[in-house]
Amino acid sequence: MSVEPFNRLVKLAARAFYDDITTKGDNQPKNGRSDNRGIAVVVLDALTRRQWVREEDLAKDLKLHSKQLRRTLRFFEEEKLVTRDHRRETAKGAKIFSAAVAATVDGHTKEGDEKIKMHTHSYCCLDYAQIYDVVRYRLHRMKKKLKDELEDKNTVQEYICPSPTCNRRYTALDALRLYSMVDEYFHCEMCNTELVADSDKFVAQEGGDGDDNARRRRREKIKDMLQKMEVQLKPLMDQLARVKDLAVPEFGTLLAWELRASAAARAANGDANGNDPSKSSQNGYGGPPMPFFGETKVEVAFSGTEGQEDKKSEVDHTSLKVLPPWMIKQGMNLTKEQRGGEVKQEAKMDGGVSTTETSEDKKSITENDDKKNLQDEYVKAYYAALLEKQKELEAATKQEELSNAQMLDGEASTSSSRQVGMKSKRVEDEGEEDVEWEEAAPVAAGNANEPYKVDLNVEADATADNEEDDDDDVDWEEG
Amino acid sequence: MFFHIVLERNIQLHPRHFGRSLRDNIVSKLMKDVEGTCSGRHGFVVAITGIEEIGKGLIRDGTGFVTFPVKYQCVVFRPFKGEILEAVVSMVNKMGFFAEAGPVQIFVSNHLIPDDMEFQSGDMPNYTTSDGSVKIQKDSEVRLKIIGTRVDATEIFCIGTIKDDFLGVINDPSAT
Repeated sequence: MSVEPFNRLVKLAARAFYDDITTKGDNQPKNGRSDNRGIAVVVLDALTRRQWVREEDLAKDLKLHSKQLRRTLRFFEEEKLVTRDHRRETAKGAKIFSAAVAATVDGHTKEGDEKIKMHTHSYCCLDYAQIYDVVRYRLHRMKKKLKDELEDKNTVQEYICPSPTCNRRYTALDALRLYSMVDEYFHCEMCNTELVADSDKFVAQEGGDGDDNARRRRREKIKDMLQKMEVQLKPLMDQLARVKDLAVPEFGTLLAWELRASAAARAANGDANGNDPSKSSQNGYGGPPMPFFGETKVEVAFSGTEGQEDKKSEVDHTSLKVLPPWMIKQGMNLTKEQRGGEVKQEAKMDGGVSTTETSEDKKSITENDDKKNLQDEYVKAYYAALLEKQKELEAATKQEELSNAQMLDGEASTSSSRQVGMKSKRVEDEGEEDVEWEEAAPVAAGNANEPYKVDLNVEADATADNEEDDDDDVDWEEG
Repeated sequence: MFFHIVLERNIQLHPRHFGRSLRDNIVSKLMKDVEGTCSGRHGFVVAITGIEEIGKGLIRDGTGFVTFPVKYQCVVFRPFKGEILEAVVSMVNKMGFFAEAGPVQIFVSNHLIPDDMEFQSGDMPNYTTSDGSVKIQKDSEVRLKIIGTRVDATEIFCIGTIKDDFLGVINDPSAT
C-alpha cells in the first residue's frame, strides 16, 4: 500500500487544475498582496505529506491564516478532494489526536492548550480513492465536451435565457414547450424572453451565428485545444494509468484513524518503526511513516517450482479428494485415493524419475510386504497376457502404419491402441501399453493417448490405472 | 420501433350496456379508451388487434358500474435513441424544424442540420443548400436519426439529426 504514486497524482492534479484558483471573492481587488493564487497547490502538497491533520496545525505549519486555509479547504471539500471532519472536543479530546499525530509525525505535537473549554476542531485529510475518481471524471468530461463540440454531432442543443435575472437553460428536448406560436421562436417559460442557442461555449461570438467562417474558426480552435490538452495533461494521465491497479491508501474516518494510530503507536513503542522524526524527514516528501500499516508482507507460494520431495509430501497430506475422471490427465501426480480407485497403494505415474524413486523407497518398506502374494500373481498373469498380446498387436500396428503412412507415429499408435482399447479386460490394456514401450516412445505414447482420454472417460481411467500398474511393475523389479 | 404486445386494462362499463352485445361494448369502449394514447413505458398504442381475455366483471358499490379486466393484443410504437425514422416536416423556424413521424414529434435543431444548409425566412421558411438543390420546408419528407428522447408518463418527444450519411430530404413536395 504505497501512498507515493497517489501523492504524485495529487500533485499533478493540483498543478493542472488548481494552479490559478483564488479563494478570494471576485469583489475584492486583486493587488499583489491579496493575490493568493497558488495557495491551493501549496495546501494540497502539504496534505500529501500528512494524513489526518487538524486544520489549525496545518495553518501553523503553512504560516497561513486559518481563515484563509479554511476557505481553501472548503473549496477542496466541494471539489471532493478532501474529507473533513468537525467535532467539538475538549483539550483532552484534542490530545487524543495529538497522540495519534505523535505516532505518525513526531514533533507536530502541540503542548500547552490545557483549557477545559470545548472547541470545535476541524480536521482534514486527502481522500485518495475519491481523488482518483474525481480526476478521471474531470478528464473525461473535458474530453467529451471538446469532442462533442468538435464533431458537432449527437449533441443536444442547449438554449439559454439571455435575460440576466433568469438565466435559465433549456435543452432541445424542451423544444415543444418552448415554442411560441406568436413569433415562431423559443421563449423562456419564466420570463418569456426569446431564448438564444448556447452554441458558442468556448469561443466568443465572432461574426454571425451561422457564419461559415466563424464556425470553421471555432472548429480549428477546439481541435487545437484538444491537442494541447492531450499534450499538457499527458503526465497526469500517465500517472492515472500507473495508479489504476494499485491499492488506494485508505485512512478511514478520523475516529478510526485515531484508534488505529494510537494502537499502532502503543504496539510499536520502543521498536524502531521509523518513528523518529529525523528519519521521517529523511523520507523526503514521502510523508510521515505510517506505523499502523505495519510491514507489508507478501508470501507467494509457487507450486511446482519446489523440489519433487516437497511436492510429494504435499500431495500425500493434503490432496486426498477423489477427482472426477474427466479431471485426470496424464502427467498429474495423483494418488489412488484421488482417482477413486480401491487400491490404497500410492502410485505415481509421473515421468519424473526422482518421484518414482522417492515413492519407491517408501513403498518397498510399507506396502510391498502386505501385497506380495497378490502382486506375484498379478505379475504372472500380466506377463502371460503380455506375450499373448504382443504378437497380436504388432501385427495390428504394422497394418495401421502401412495404411496411414503420412501420419505421425504417435497418432498412428493412438489409432491402433484405440482399436484394441475397445476390449474391456484390463490385462489386455496393459499389453497394449507394452507395445508402446517397445516402440521406445513412452512419452509420445502418453501424449498420443491424451486426446481420446478426454473424450472417453472410462477408458481414460483404465489407461491411467494400468499405467500406474506399469509403474508399479517397475518398482517391483527394482525393489 | 413497432411492437405487438399484450396489455391489460380495466374497463368500466355503464349498466345500460349490459345485454346481448356486452362483449362488443367492452371492446369498443376499450378501443376508444386506449387507441392513440401514449404511455412512457410502451409508447403509443397504434391499434388493438385482438382481445385475449375478458375477466369477470366486478360491480362497484353505489354506482352500478362494472369493472372488467381485459387483456388485449395491440401494436405499439416506441421511438428509440439511434433509430432511423422517416418523418414529415411540420414546421420550420430559425431554431430548426419540427417533424412528425406518426404520433411522435421530433425536433431537429439547426446545428444538427448539415452546415451547407441555410435558413431562409419568408412566407415559406425553409432550409436550403447554397445551390438550391435541396430544400427542407413544411411538408417535406425527411429521413432522420433520433438522438434523444424525452419520455414522460403520457408523452414522448424526440430530437433528431439529419447530419449524417443517408439522412435528409427524401421527397421534395415543391419539386413534384
